[in-house]
Amino acid sequence: MPIPTLAEKLAWLKPSPPTPHEIECAAKLAQGDYEIGAQITNDILDEAMEIFVRSSRSYFGVSGDSMVAIFTANGDLINASCGTYLHAIIQPIVIKFIQKYYAENPGIHDGDIWYTNDALYGGIHNPDQVALIPVFHEGRLIAWATAALHTTETGAVEPGGMPVSAKSRFEEGLNMPPIKIGENFKIRNDFLEMYSVYGLRAPAMFISDLRARCTTADRVRVRILELVKKRGEDFVIGLMRKMLDTAEAGAREKVKHLPDGKFRSVVFNDAIGWTPALVRACFLTLTKKDGRLVFNFEGTSPENPSSYNVHTQAVVGHIANFMYEYFFHDLPICSSTFAPIDFEFPEGIILNPDKLAATSCCVYIGMQARCATHNAFAKMTFSSASLWQQVAASPGSQHTAQICAGVSQWKLAISDVLSFSLNTQGQGGRAATDGMDSYGFAWCAFGRAPDSEQVESELPLSVMLSQHWRDSCGHGIHRGGSGAVQQWMVHKVPDIVSLCMGNGSKVPLGQPMFGGYASSPIPGISVKKTDLLKQMKEGNPELTMDHREIMEKATVHGDWTYELIARTPKVYQEGDLLFGFSGGGPGYGDPLERDPEFVMEDLKKCLISDWTATEIYKIAYDHERRKVDIEKTNQQRAAERKSRLARGKSYGEFEKEWNKKSPPKEALIYYGTWPDAKSTGPVFRP
Amino acid sequence: MAAEQQNRIRVTEYLDLDIEKEKWHCNRCGKELGAARENYKRCLLIHDRDPREIHPPLVSGEYNFSPDPLWVRIVEFYCPGCGVQMETEYLPPGHPLTWDIEIDLDSLKKRLQSGEYKIRKQRLEVSE
Repeated sequence: MPIPTLAEKLAWLKPSPPTPHEIECAAKLAQGDYEIGAQITNDILDEAMEIFVRSSRSYFGVSGDSMVAIFTANGDLINASCGTYLHAIIQPIVIKFIQKYYAENPGIHDGDIWYTNDALYGGIHNPDQVALIPVFHEGRLIAWATAALHTTETGAVEPGGMPVSAKSRFEEGLNMPPIKIGENFKIRNDFLEMYSVYGLRAPAMFISDLRARCTTADRVRVRILELVKKRGEDFVIGLMRKMLDTAEAGAREKVKHLPDGKFRSVVFNDAIGWTPALVRACFLTLTKKDGRLVFNFEGTSPENPSSYNVHTQAVVGHIANFMYEYFFHDLPICSSTFAPIDFEFPEGIILNPDKLAATSCCVYIGMQARCATHNAFAKMTFSSASLWQQVAASPGSQHTAQICAGVSQWKLAISDVLSFSLNTQGQGGRAATDGMDSYGFAWCAFGRAPDSEQVESELPLSVMLSQHWRDSCGHGIHRGGSGAVQQWMVHKVPDIVSLCMGNGSKVPLGQPMFGGYASSPIPGISVKKTDLLKQMKEGNPELTMDHREIMEKATVHGDWTYELIARTPKVYQEGDLLFGFSGGGPGYGDPLERDPEFVMEDLKKCLISDWTATEIYKIAYDHERRKVDIEKTNQQRAAERKSRLARGKSYGEFEKEWNKKSPPKEALIYYGTWPDAKSTGPVFRP
Repeated sequence: MAAEQQNRIRVTEYLDLDIEKEKWHCNRCGKELGAARENYKRCLLIHDRDPREIHPPLVSGEYNFSPDPLWVRIVEFYCPGCGVQMETEYLPPGHPLTWDIEIDLDSLKKRLQSGEYKIRKQRLEVSE
């Protein structure tokens, strides 16, 4: 079986060497051709993305958790419209796999439609599916067009497409290696039938999304051929080559600004499936030397028998989300930007598991690789005059990925994830300013949150409140952006089945930056048999829809449950409530240096509490008028600095006590050996 | 700029590197912290903070919006001169502290000497 090896995957991430014909075509570009041509590819992709969003059915599609892209004939990415950058750098693996193994049988022809959702072959995880269409001109393959989107169903052991309980790939439902699903521009009916049975929980969404991918990729194909007709085949080939060369030069120029050295970051995760468990989710050593960057993951915890593992290219995908949001923010989304970057994955770690591993919930671990990248990059970049303002703590990544399945108020079968509805994690605090409040979905910064009314019209839920989550941001000179909270009530149906994925209930995710604090953990919260509707009907004047008051004073009566965020499937009845949270961003810098007036602003915006202003930021102020007493604030802050000097221990003294400690044994069942996280034995999977 | 700061670059918000003398300094109070070929954290004061003091529980019970103090601690690093909080790490109790910054000083000096880099406003700039 030609399952791609790690070496193949890493090699295929790199742009192929230019062919003599490509070089010749690129040399023929006239002045201005590159700039105009590159913009035309942007226009083609943006139009296709619009089509994609409008023709998708799943809420990830509606939210734009997707990518449309153009590749060279050799499979190198030259530009993309996002959506999410998760897929950006890694899809060449799939195209190059098809070209290596299927060029003869079944062959690659004009009118083909290829498809895959298998992370073993180059994807993120199996809800992320991609349609790939070769672009032929007069019988010659000149490019590829792709459309990728997360659909929230895969026919797995649980609804929602990301089975928390899956212990091997065989429990994840549809895992389809690259396969030709259509010929002569038509999807094959026999494939459609095979495919559709995996989406029986939500057939309308499942099939619509498949068609949306194919339609979108084909629109890109049509537009590329229009460009060929207008400017000639050589122009398009030369343009793509020049885009690769220009992007690579831009990336290398940026890397030049970084000092040589080793930069490390370590991040943890606190749940493996539904089991609270501590793992060293990413131990990153980032080495910069002579114009190259090497990501090494030695020291990361071993793989485990759950779906919380990540195939290697999916780790790269998560890192691409950081790179294109920050370091490469002004470069095109192009394979060659990663030309100066290499990856080293030891075998058997959670970031490089066995081929039998389940990886459907990989995003919870993959995100930690992104978080580690933020910190390591910050320490490498801060000295650079041109790059330091790109330094930012990682985004808040804990969130309530609540799955909602059953029959809707329209009597339609549904299976969807409510994380799109939040789409509002806080950005990490930045070197020059605060993180943005509710900046976006950490996996898809440019996705959009659908209106609450849209959620309510399609799912049997009412969104009872949607607010910034007070005190969710990490504190610092530049605080992290605030996360958000929503409250969902089962409405208009007798009941639904709901379960939840996620992490971050016991340990804050990500690391803060340069003396800041991380953001708060989130529990899983539900209230059964509530009297909320009754109170609303009766018009209880005491009832406020403030999330903190509802939780802390339990103003809504019923059976409250606080538990691990990841929850097993349960039936919830009409009127029952579920709380959803998106994490705040970690903070940047010492909170004692935050401008007191900024703290007052945060209070006014209900982003922090009086407790935080007083105890963390040490502000003295009039609570009614929110007027700062500068002198007293300065005294309080000076006193706190003095306390630090008194309680702080020298490194040696600290280590003497610290090294005797360890977390409880039950927390370390998936960690590996303590503390170096080596494998303790093979993983057995069904 | 004072002469002693001309060879100094900012490495983090609070950590400066004197390239010529190969020393770490506090950016806020200027205190010389120690040898730049060593982990700068060895020169700082360190405190094991109960995370509930920063992220207090909002409700009772095991899952309460507060980190589990048996699972994670906040390790705070202070400048021994002025008490500024230079760094924090959220680590399981007993987990080794991270040597996070290991700049290749020889390479940096070479690039500065060759004119590839210059220092402007305490930051590195690539010469055109």
